[in-house]
Amino acid sequence: MSRARLSPALVVGAAISVVFVASALLSLVWTPYDVAAFDIGHRLEGPTAAHWLGRDHFGRDVASMILLGAGNALAVSLVAVLLGAGLGVPLGLLAAARRGLIDELVMRASDVAFAFPALILAILLTAVLGPGAINAVVAIGIFNVPVFARLTRGAALSLWTRDYVLAARMTGKGAARISLEHILPGLASVLIVQATLQFSLGVIAEAGLSYVGLGAQPPAASWGKMLADAQTLVSVAPLQAIFPGLAIVVTVLGLNLLGDGLRDRFDPRLDEER
Amino acid sequence: MRLRALLGGLAAALAMALAPAVQAAPKDSLTIALQLEPPNLDPTSGAAAPTDEVVYGNIFEGLVRLDAQGAVKPLLATWWEVSPDGLTYTFHLRDGVRFQDGAAFDAGTVKFSLERAIAPASANVQKQALSVIRRVEVVDPRTVRLHLAQRDSDLLYVLAWGDSVMVSPRSAAGLATAPVGTGPFRFATWRRGDAVTLTRNDGYWDQPARLRQVTFRFIADPAAAFAAIKTHEVDAFTDYPAPESLAQLRADPSLKVITASSEGEVILAINNRTGPLADVRVRRAIQHALDRRTIIDGAMYGYGVPIGSHFPPQNAAYVDLTGLYPHDVAKAKALLAEAGYPNGLSLTLKLPPPNYARRSGEIAAAQLAQAGIRVKIENLEWAQWLDQVYGRHAFDLSIVAHTEPMDYGIYDKADYYFGYHSDAFHGLMETLKGATDEGQRTVILGQIQRRIADDAVNGFLFQFPRLGVFDARLKDFWVNSPTQAIDLRAASFGGQGVADGPVAKAGPGGAILGGVLALAALLGLLAIAARFGATWLAGRAAVMILTLLAASIVIFGVIQVIPGDPAAYMLGLNASPEAAASLRQQMGLEGPATQRYLAWLLGMLHGDLGVSYTYQTPVAALVAERIGVSLPLALLAMVLSVVIGAPIGALAAARRGKAADTIVMGLTQVGVAIPNFWFAVLLVMVFSIGLRWVSAGGFPGWEAGLVPALKALALPSLALAAPQAAIIARVTRSALIDTLAEDWMRTARAKGLTAGQALWRHGLPNALIPLLTILGLQFPFLLAGGVIIENVFFLPGLGRFVLQAITQRDLIVVQGVVMLLVFAVVATNFLIDLAYVVVDPRLRGSRGR
Repeated sequence: MSRARLSPALVVGAAISVVFVASALLSLVWTPYDVAAFDIGHRLEGPTAAHWLGRDHFGRDVASMILLGAGNALAVSLVAVLLGAGLGVPLGLLAAARRGLIDELVMRASDVAFAFPALILAILLTAVLGPGAINAVVAIGIFNVPVFARLTRGAALSLWTRDYVLAARMTGKGAARISLEHILPGLASVLIVQATLQFSLGVIAEAGLSYVGLGAQPPAASWGKMLADAQTLVSVAPLQAIFPGLAIVVTVLGLNLLGDGLRDRFDPRLDEER
Repeated sequence: MRLRALLGGLAAALAMALAPAVQAAPKDSLTIALQLEPPNLDPTSGAAAPTDEVVYGNIFEGLVRLDAQGAVKPLLATWWEVSPDGLTYTFHLRDGVRFQDGAAFDAGTVKFSLERAIAPASANVQKQALSVIRRVEVVDPRTVRLHLAQRDSDLLYVLAWGDSVMVSPRSAAGLATAPVGTGPFRFATWRRGDAVTLTRNDGYWDQPARLRQVTFRFIADPAAAFAAIKTHEVDAFTDYPAPESLAQLRADPSLKVITASSEGEVILAINNRTGPLADVRVRRAIQHALDRRTIIDGAMYGYGVPIGSHFPPQNAAYVDLTGLYPHDVAKAKALLAEAGYPNGLSLTLKLPPPNYARRSGEIAAAQLAQAGIRVKIENLEWAQWLDQVYGRHAFDLSIVAHTEPMDYGIYDKADYYFGYHSDAFHGLMETLKGATDEGQRTVILGQIQRRIADDAVNGFLFQFPRLGVFDARLKDFWVNSPTQAIDLRAASFGGQGVADGPVAKAGPGGAILGGVLALAALLGLLAIAARFGATWLAGRAAVMILTLLAASIVIFGVIQVIPGDPAAYMLGLNASPEAAASLRQQMGLEGPATQRYLAWLLGMLHGDLGVSYTYQTPVAALVAERIGVSLPLALLAMVLSVVIGAPIGALAAARRGKAADTIVMGLTQVGVAIPNFWFAVLLVMVFSIGLRWVSAGGFPGWEAGLVPALKALALPSLALAAPQAAIIARVTRSALIDTLAEDWMRTARAKGLTAGQALWRHGLPNALIPLLTILGLQFPFLLAGGVIIENVFFLPGLGRFVLQAITQRDLIVVQGVVMLLVFAVVATNFLIDLAYVVVDPRLRGSRGR
């Protein structure tokens, strides 16, 4: 496959992801309407020229809410991924560099973490910490840690057998320095792909937690909470349940396409290395 | 392939074990939906309103009752005399009353019941109020005399509440799970998480009830409630949770919508103790900032009557104080400035779960913001609310409905959560207690309302409406009740000849399934030991056990730090600290953590997961009931995902690079991106509410027959399966593409097989390994991952069970279920490892990854 040609999946995925990030950033400074102002008299109105996606059960502009929801989804998933990678990658590097007992400990601990029903544990965690966006980040981020740890360890193990790493060892560099200078750069592509995928999982997880009321708290907007609010109105105003759901699907789809596209693009080189 | 065969076998076993038992009868059974399930069925311990709603007046009766106007009427006592000094009450008891188990009712029973309620170990919520009774004297079998410590004009009301019902010494110990009283219905079954069924008591002392059977179902979700009543799956909602869809139900001629008053006042509770809120000017500013009409419109869709004090409008002594603080933002700001907050102030608003509170809270916060009061909303579960707001007074503002009738006495308790203290108010309460005639009482009650309003103790929002939705044929159904009760003695259906659904009975479904699985597991282990050798098995087992041990420590640790006291949750709003302490002792919550951990661990080794705090039933038995729903659901979803996903993946692989492949793979990308709970909502919209093909939720039980049960699981399993099917399609495709590239596939073509034949005979079996891995990873996810799906479809499965247990702080259940799910994951991983070896003989040398 030609490296120069971009696959359509990558283009579409990247485009959606850019729109998602841009709307999230935009919502920080501007939304079409002020969502702090309730207008009960006009609640649940359908789409009009002024309100493209209609108004919600408090008479707020749905389009504005969805923009703000993008901001929330971006913030929560991004921090959760950073948290997961920030803890998981060093653990994986350490396990690969030291092998032996530490490796075994890290792997067994990640086994235990994988064995837990994630959603139930996330709910338990928010029961301990209280609901809120920050605690949702922690609950989601914790489950990213073993993912990154395993991935890093696996890929790092194979890199440790590479000639240039052996050469670095000959020069007397320590394990930590080799991990940082030679192993980590080699993992960049794998980690970027995984981060994109974990990011999209984070968006779904955040929606799920907010849907059961444990994510962002009002008046902050969240797609999951919008869905929960809309669900009681399914019989009265079905459109209310459509738009936030579509926002989630399109965003997750975009991020997945981006991740897969990146993987395909990086893949040939990975194959050579294996 | 073997997996498929196993599943087929299981389904067949289920089908045989659970032959349909449908019977038809005229419509003399009623299904009522309640929002909350009672934690237990004993109204004399604990304060759960749903307990009273199910059992009070139906199973249990007291000496007296309240009529629709709130007046005291005779029940098990035919008449009574009060001594002139108000210190002695003599009750004359009804003749010929028997408990449902045949035990007789006499003066001795009254003495037993009341002394039991006020005993030191009693967890009765009205213990304090009933403790005014100094002595219960049996005059003769038909006469009983109560000696009071002091005058108490409220005693007769207290005796009319569910806390004061008559119980028999013979059955008193088991009331929580097997209630026995003197009422017109007897307890039949309780399928936890789903329904309680009562049947007519033919030996009732009065005219027997007209309904043969009454089923209480528990549906809290507003969307599910709409679907259930709209499709007549339930006949009545006494407290319909979705005012937003009431207008649609009104338009349905087969339903009757009744909006009635309740004794519930919804208040914006203000913590009178802390900083700025201790200043009456700030509290008055809050009153001016609130716009009740908008709150009622926005949160309750117009249902609800504004109130100006803590008193229900339908009461004769009601004084309209809603005009005292008109909505006036400028006035609010002025008052704040006067109190020293010209730039406004910041407060937290902690909201309990019900929709009325959450929605009112969002609107109130927006209104307060207009006046410069910045409000930070925190949504809490009930257990957290009880702990933080009610227990530790760690809040500024909250919104909650106070549903107890005539509960203005809470303003006389300085340690009550909103912390109001006023000597003037206390004086009024003292005068009220001494009041003898109604006229005098009315005057003082008016002063009480005015005092509370003048001091702006709380933001008084609206009277909680009782939104009843009923089958239009239902008659003589008592709606406007002053107590928390649903009295069904006179209820009946006007029409006739309508066939009934099957009668629900607790059945052996879960047990049979469990037996089959245990047997299969045992046989499997023997086969493995024979094939792979005991050493390998022991090694794997050691890893499994270590993982489980580590997991158990983590779970136990997390459970320990969860805030919220289970005992406080169970006892509710009016519990005394002593009652909570004695309950904690009973529940085994005292003692060092290590000791409790070891006890739990040892118990689990015996298959004993402990006893549920709320249900007072062994956790293992409850789990077995729920597995009977969750396991078939997970299996069904897994089968569906393979049946849908694998052929699609194979198709894409066969047409690799062509249009069909691109389209199919694009669709699977969308499939993976759909959150399953959203998909579930869409399915309900289309198939239940739109097309009405299947019910929107609930589970009739396997006893109802295979077809209704599978029908109930159809949408949930489809919702669970759809994203999984997309994953399976992708895995199948890539696995097939890999195998298609192998040399032996070319050989297969060379020997004359068509591309299709080669694919099916040689390609697919080799693609099984990644497929098995994915299936194995999916299964535990499906088992637990149904949490949200089970909520959307109100299925009484494991996920919903554990979610409910978390919110009710039934921590022993949470521990047990999470541990079980972890075990499922570990065991499945083990089975996958085995399957690798079985499916791929090449792995037999290395055995492992």
